[in-house]
Amino acid sequence: KQQVRSYKYSPLTFLPLNLYEQFQRAANFFFLLIVVMQVCGSVSCSNLTAQTHFMCTTVCLCVCVCVCRGAVFVVCVSVCVVTVCMRVCVCADLLLLCSTEPHSLCFIETFRKQIIKLLPLLFPPTLSLSLPLLVSISCSFFSSAGVVWCEEPNGQLYSFQGKLHWKGQCHLLDSEHMLLRGTILRNTDTAYGLAIYTGSDTKILRNCGRLKVKKTQVERFLNKIVLSLLMVALLLAVGSGLFEHLISPRIEVLSGISANFPAAYRGFLTFWGYIILLSPAMPMSLYITFELIHIVHCLLIGWDLEMYWGKRNSPAQARATSLNEELGQVGHLLSDKTGTLTQNHLLFRQCCVAGHIYGIWNRFSCGGLLFSDQRLTNCLRERRCPESREFFTALALCHTVMSEWKDGLPRYQAASPDEEALVSAARELGWVFLSRTRDSLTLSELGFTHCYRLLALLDFTSKRRRMSVLVRNPEGELKLYCKGADIVILERLRKDSPHQESTEQALEVFAQRCLRTLCVAGRSVSEAQWTEWSHALSQAAMATTYRETLLEELYEHMEKDLMMLGVTAIEDRLQEGVPETICSLRRAGVKVWVLTGDKTETAVNVGYACKLMDPDTCLLQGEELRIRLHFSMCLQTELIKTPEAGARFVSLSNQCQSVLCCRVTPGQKAEVVQLVRKYSSSITMAIGDGANDVNMIKTAHIGVGLCGVEGSQAVQNADFALAQFSFLRRLLLVHGRWSYRRICSFLHYFLYKTTSFALVHIWYSLYNGFSAQPMYESWFIALYTIMYTSLPVKCLGFFEQDMSSESSLRWPEVYLAGQRHELLNPLSLGVALLYSIYTSIILFFLPMGVFQDSDLDYQTLAITVQTSAVFSVTVEIILQTKFWTKYNFAAVAFCLALYFLSTVILHSPRLFLAFPKDYIFFGTCVISLIDTEKA
Amino acid sequence: MKAGPSRTNRPDNTAFTQQRLPAWQPILSAGIVIPGFTLIGLAFIGVGVALFVTSQKITDLEVRGKRDTHAVLFFFQGPVFFYYGLTSYYQNFRTYGVSKDGYQLSGDTYYFNVRAWYSCAPYQYDSNNNPIVPCGSIANSMFSDTFQLYQVVNGMKKQVPLDGKGIAWWTDYNIKYSNPALVNGSFANAFSGTVKPVNWSKPVYELDPTDQANNGFLNQNFLVWMRQAALPKFQKLYGRIAEGDYAQGLPAGNYTLLINYSYPVISFGGTKKVVLSNVSWMGGKNQFLGIAYLVIGSLCIVMAMVMLIIYAKYKFTDDDEDM
Repeated sequence: KQQVRSYKYSPLTFLPLNLYEQFQRAANFFFLLIVVMQVCGSVSCSNLTAQTHFMCTTVCLCVCVCVCRGAVFVVCVSVCVVTVCMRVCVCADLLLLCSTEPHSLCFIETFRKQIIKLLPLLFPPTLSLSLPLLVSISCSFFSSAGVVWCEEPNGQLYSFQGKLHWKGQCHLLDSEHMLLRGTILRNTDTAYGLAIYTGSDTKILRNCGRLKVKKTQVERFLNKIVLSLLMVALLLAVGSGLFEHLISPRIEVLSGISANFPAAYRGFLTFWGYIILLSPAMPMSLYITFELIHIVHCLLIGWDLEMYWGKRNSPAQARATSLNEELGQVGHLLSDKTGTLTQNHLLFRQCCVAGHIYGIWNRFSCGGLLFSDQRLTNCLRERRCPESREFFTALALCHTVMSEWKDGLPRYQAASPDEEALVSAARELGWVFLSRTRDSLTLSELGFTHCYRLLALLDFTSKRRRMSVLVRNPEGELKLYCKGADIVILERLRKDSPHQESTEQALEVFAQRCLRTLCVAGRSVSEAQWTEWSHALSQAAMATTYRETLLEELYEHMEKDLMMLGVTAIEDRLQEGVPETICSLRRAGVKVWVLTGDKTETAVNVGYACKLMDPDTCLLQGEELRIRLHFSMCLQTELIKTPEAGARFVSLSNQCQSVLCCRVTPGQKAEVVQLVRKYSSSITMAIGDGANDVNMIKTAHIGVGLCGVEGSQAVQNADFALAQFSFLRRLLLVHGRWSYRRICSFLHYFLYKTTSFALVHIWYSLYNGFSAQPMYESWFIALYTIMYTSLPVKCLGFFEQDMSSESSLRWPEVYLAGQRHELLNPLSLGVALLYSIYTSIILFFLPMGVFQDSDLDYQTLAITVQTSAVFSVTVEIILQTKFWTKYNFAAVAFCLALYFLSTVILHSPRLFLAFPKDYIFFGTCVISLIDTEKA
Repeated sequence: MKAGPSRTNRPDNTAFTQQRLPAWQPILSAGIVIPGFTLIGLAFIGVGVALFVTSQKITDLEVRGKRDTHAVLFFFQGPVFFYYGLTSYYQNFRTYGVSKDGYQLSGDTYYFNVRAWYSCAPYQYDSNNNPIVPCGSIANSMFSDTFQLYQVVNGMKKQVPLDGKGIAWWTDYNIKYSNPALVNGSFANAFSGTVKPVNWSKPVYELDPTDQANNGFLNQNFLVWMRQAALPKFQKLYGRIAEGDYAQGLPAGNYTLLINYSYPVISFGGTKKVVLSNVSWMGGKNQFLGIAYLVIGSLCIVMAMVMLIIYAKYKFTDDDEDM
């Protein structure tokens, strides 16, 4: 009875809504105005039918693009309980009730299709409903017996707060219980959900928000040109009004025509006439060709073999089509470390248990061998050291890894590669994690299978930087195992925890070797404590306000008085070509900043390893940062909180060789990017591979995602996707630079050819009483930009190379021109405009000198001027093109031939006899064409 | 990412996709630019000189004001063309230029009475609502002065024949314009029910009663007028002097021009004149074009010299590195 609209447009609303969206852009509105006026007879001074059709098709083109982007989904009829089958896209925001899987687990593929993220422990709200029962429940049952309270529809994809009152009980709901629209059910046969938000209320649609049109420098300039054209038209209209008022009353032949209308009205009409005549200076084809060139550049990026990574079968990908020229102007590169500079192929290298370091450090190792240390094996076999057993039990228990059995062996699926490396390491040494259910974990400890009851999972957040599990071991004792970053663990240790000093030493040793460290600690929990704590936990879970904070406090309460069990050290090798890439980017004037969550020592060592810093650079850290201006530095982000400090910091960093930001959280990464964007004028580029880099990628002007181990979330949010960090060098120095040059010369030339062509009307208006008499044949105006002069400039935009890719890579310094905006700035565009004004003067006044006081007629003048216009812009493109491929030759020859051919055809008597009104120029082209060539 | 293991995303290795297309990369070095400029300059100067000299050879005689006797001091090489000229006359005004009906002028009597479009207004109907043919402002404002040229030989006036044919465009009188078919053997009947333009003294079918091929819409003075001038200062061809005694040109002597003055220009500050001129391969007398070519050519030469001096002073040995 009640239908929910789940798509953006309906056949009725499509046109108005879409048009409204299209005309957010000033230029589109301008074009609409032009089209309307062409049709409007009293103003139209030329028959631009061809152009009108052309514009209609392009509007349709834009519309289609919009449909694809605007997420058109299938209609779904809302019944309260929705059944979702495997591999089906969820059609509304559902409250997951249960699924057919054991323990009602449910796996979904999150937004944007790529990553399979398993929502861990997506319980139905502890309703022990059997399936048939649930299916039999109708909506009426729910509405009478149960009430769901939920927040107002909003666009926050990852948060949901609500309550379910059912059978007298109150259950709290959060985002883990939600099956959001647009996600896809995986590995789960069927899931049942209660529709919460439907149609345009769903989170994904709310999240889409408004399409923000990014105003680039170019666009602002083009808007200015549109504005000045309007001004010129206005001036000419004033001229027309004056002419009508002062001169034409004395001329009987003219005043007779316009006698019925006042001069002001005539001037008003002439204004619109001149807008039509001057509009070719800013044709729609400029925007279309601009987009087309961008698209071709994106394709070329994808086609580049040198950016194709065979191992993963992934070519480079340009996901955003409007940022190509900005690739050639990048001033700051902000890079993540893990997975971006490094391979994120983690190897468990060393560990420190009870103060002893195990594992052999071999700096020349190529990463083939697994961890092996006879001493540790002995120690474990002989059951000498209880701490080592505890340590590996902790590694096998404290994680969120899922195991999947394949060929009799467990395969681990982890959210982060660290966890996988640690659990795998424990497996190799005999502590095998076998399987997990909702409330238990099964391990095989040196061959004996044990089952641990999972009482609580104190999950990992980037703020807490640790996670813990509370388990009841087979002996019935309660144990808490905690794993996390060294500083957070060290400050939660018991006062008399043994081996503290030796462990800290080991941490330092590991850091020097660029190893990533994690501390593992544990404690026993008494029954009384557990009862009390679990009670508090269930109460906190019911709280509707400040739930997060309450939970955090409780977790804090549990994770104290820990006993240090040991430290793990994981090696993450640098990717191939990273030092070379960073080196040449630095030569190209790009400021490379590395943002990492690692500790300072690790970060600095990685910095040296990847040539970010030279061995003799001076490190500025902490306090020193305030007072000294030196070459390389490392900072604590707390320092840059205040705005004026931010400005000073960025100006300081501009004098530094490179910047390393350590211990930054994902949120802070984005803040750093924001800081650089705010206080420096350069284009920022952020590169990262993981979900924690998404913020940063979205904040920067250009975001680059690496298709890494940590899923493709970064790629999905990025503008460009690469497989390797080293491809960045080619992307920036070759593709970016070429794109920048091509687009700059394209814009200059395009503006030149259109304005020099259109401005002639201004000069002619001085000699025709400001009457909006077109200087050219109307067919010529319609075909000039789209046929006679379009191909050569496209070829220029596609193929132009001022130097080969090899030379651009060999001399990265040439990239500096882009950072300084040397090719495209208000000055250069102004010069191009002046040049085109000069050309238009030549184009008009040379023929005028010849035609003055002669018996040559208007049509001959028009043909002369238009032929000169085609010639001079063709000569200009011949001078501009520095890289003549066969296509360039063909394009120039074709366009010239096309001009002459179509002029002859359009002036043929046959066409005139068929359409006497449209082909009034016939016969004109046989008149000798006087060519006024400019020097 | 969704690709199966069998499908490879490896890009094609072609010159196009890898941007390794063979290309000619011209470098504008001094060795090319300076000789290039010099050559272009010389060519322009050559053309300019040719044009200028040709233009100088053309004789023309302008008659302004109302003096009616003129002396031709030397033999005027034929064929001599007779022009009338107007100034400050905006024949290129947009609304003026569209004030005609092409269908009507192509001889379609249907459009004599039917409004094809409104462009002819207000010269579409007269005060009695009779259709005007030919309608529109251009036709209405047709130049109406007539000229007669006499040579004064021994005090006697000898008429110089002005041929009003062969002065319009071939396409105009063969294709673009045509007369309506005769009705009942009479040309005038074809125009029955229509009236002449307000300013005209005689209807269109009486423009040249002596020659039916030059009558009606095909009258060549009418055609010349209907072809819009490019600029407010223009000349239009009135006739050719190519017959009888004057086929070879006008002999030196005294000539009298008889002007039937009826076309008003004083009101808008315009002037009238009459020009007698002969033509060459480049058209009528026009010194501007030759001068323009000469100026541009010499500019090129000067630029080439300047560049040569700069080049000689600072020899850029590594200018291809700078690109």
